[in-house]
Amino acid sequence: MTTHSPTFRLPAGLVIDPGPGLVVRRALRDTGSVLWRDLLRTSRQPDTLVFAVVMGAFFLLLFNYVFGGSIGAGAGVDYLEFLVPGILVITALQGAQQTSMSLAADLTDGASDRFRTLPMSQVAVVAGKTVADALRNVAGLVLVLLVAVVMGYRFGSGTGAIAAVALATLVGYGFSWLGAAIAAAVRKPDTVGMLSMFWLFPLMLASTVFAPAASMPGWLTPFTTYQPISAAADAVRGLAAGTPDLGSIVLTIGWTVLLLGVFVPLTARAYRKVRT
Amino acid sequence: MNNRSAQVTPAGPTVILARQLAKSFGDVAAVVDVSLEVGAGEVLAVLGPNGAGKSTTIHMLTTVLEPESGEASILGFDVQRQPDVVRQLIGVAGQGSAVDEQLTGRENLALFARLYKLPRSRAKQRTEELVAQLDLGSFVDRLVGTYSGGQRRRLDLAAALVAEPPALFLDEPTTGLDPASRADLWEAVTALAASGTAIVLTTQYLEEADRLADRVMIVDQGRVVAQGTPESLKQELRSDVLAIRMCDDAGAQAAEMLMRAAGHLVGRADGPVVQVPVNDDPGLALTLLALLQKENLPVADFQLRRPTLDDVFLEITSGPVSSPSPTSSLPQVANPPSFGIDVEEVA
Repeated sequence: MTTHSPTFRLPAGLVIDPGPGLVVRRALRDTGSVLWRDLLRTSRQPDTLVFAVVMGAFFLLLFNYVFGGSIGAGAGVDYLEFLVPGILVITALQGAQQTSMSLAADLTDGASDRFRTLPMSQVAVVAGKTVADALRNVAGLVLVLLVAVVMGYRFGSGTGAIAAVALATLVGYGFSWLGAAIAAAVRKPDTVGMLSMFWLFPLMLASTVFAPAASMPGWLTPFTTYQPISAAADAVRGLAAGTPDLGSIVLTIGWTVLLLGVFVPLTARAYRKVRT
Repeated sequence: MNNRSAQVTPAGPTVILARQLAKSFGDVAAVVDVSLEVGAGEVLAVLGPNGAGKSTTIHMLTTVLEPESGEASILGFDVQRQPDVVRQLIGVAGQGSAVDEQLTGRENLALFARLYKLPRSRAKQRTEELVAQLDLGSFVDRLVGTYSGGQRRRLDLAAALVAEPPALFLDEPTTGLDPASRADLWEAVTALAASGTAIVLTTQYLEEADRLADRVMIVDQGRVVAQGTPESLKQELRSDVLAIRMCDDAGAQAAEMLMRAAGHLVGRADGPVVQVPVNDDPGLALTLLALLQKENLPVADFQLRRPTLDDVFLEITSGPVSSPSPTSSLPQVANPPSFGIDVEEVA
């Protein structure tokens, strides 16, 4: 049939039975590769970053100038000082939306099928995205802060400012995995977009981002006080003002650990499950 | 017609092996029974209409989908038990948008090199080799979003070849390409086979299978319905086809019944068109037209043409192997040809 003499060899670095150490090292390397791809994409098309910043600036302006008078006066606080840390947390949650949407897109346009044929950690596809979103969040937070400073906002201390941005990024990272889990389970970009609104809006509005818990009805107060976005808003507020509140910081970190502990394995399972 | 079910074994040492693969999605049986064997340096073309199960077969062989039953292996490594090893041995290119539009071609290749764990220096060297081999030089530094269809397919193929895989899977690599781009890709595939790569390629084009493949496997409704060298299949399928356009559907129906009653293998195409394979006998065409004239059935138009893939399916799938599929407008035949019984029993 064929006249040539075929030659082939196994690839030089063929790994047949990797130990757990190698598996982890390779997963980290793959995460780095996916992160590199995602950041390149952002540099080519920064619209998602711009959107996050515009949303943050929009909330700042709207709440400060439209509702600031009534909410601030009622609570007896300087409203801008109250509002900015909360807006930082909201901005950091944009990353979760991004993870969710871009993962859903990958799962529908064939990109994840292709990744599945590669000798790479499949969870790294998601992990790389969440880390990219965290880095985008840092950039978004700094830009929103610049807007806040132009509006007259001042930090209590420099280290407090850094700690505030770091904590907002951390809680945003936890929520990224919630977004990833939804995308991996649902796999339809439109539905994923809608589902994101379902958890985001109640958590955002029934929180201490825009108004103190004391101003809300009594039956809502326990939820409003302890839910993750409130905890994060309170913790970031304390750090930003230079008066860190240990309770809310611990609560925020606890929520983040819980989010990661639940949604990293769920995402990994849902993502690895082949489509039927 | 016996060569249709002939046992055909690969030329080189076996690289890709599948036995009785099956997969269904809910109630729909996508793949019912597909077995194949491809040796080093060999090209197997899997030919079939849309929905025949070609892509599902490729997905099972490339660890994207788990087979429901049956087994498959690459160089002896089982696709289900050792997918991580298999993934180091395969390259996949085809229909999907695997390359990232917002990256340049070179960045895409760099990403694949990283994911395949090529050392940095080797990755650079390999990229240059692929740029030269697939002639990517004029566009590799542009964003993929600006590429033509042909350029994108070439980059996609390059990405699949980054790790020099011994097994290559190409899922409809030239669908939608212009003839020049198609010829370029064919040349690349031929060169790869000559260098020892085992290649499975799916296609809807008979011509592509003819041009590239050492062996052709025809799949319909999830089953292998014929298999052999392109020469042996063409030998059976070289029959010219007489296509007669009647004035209306009623006319076409009457013509179909008339010809069937006269013992001819007859099928319908889109519109009021009946088709009859006339083998090597142009006189048969005249006989059939005269028959219509005698019955006063007015003919709008007719042509004698070379067989297409549809005709292949008319002939091959009209036996008891598979019932007519709703998508391929195959005719029920009163007297099915006798070759139908044993064609399932392929290797």
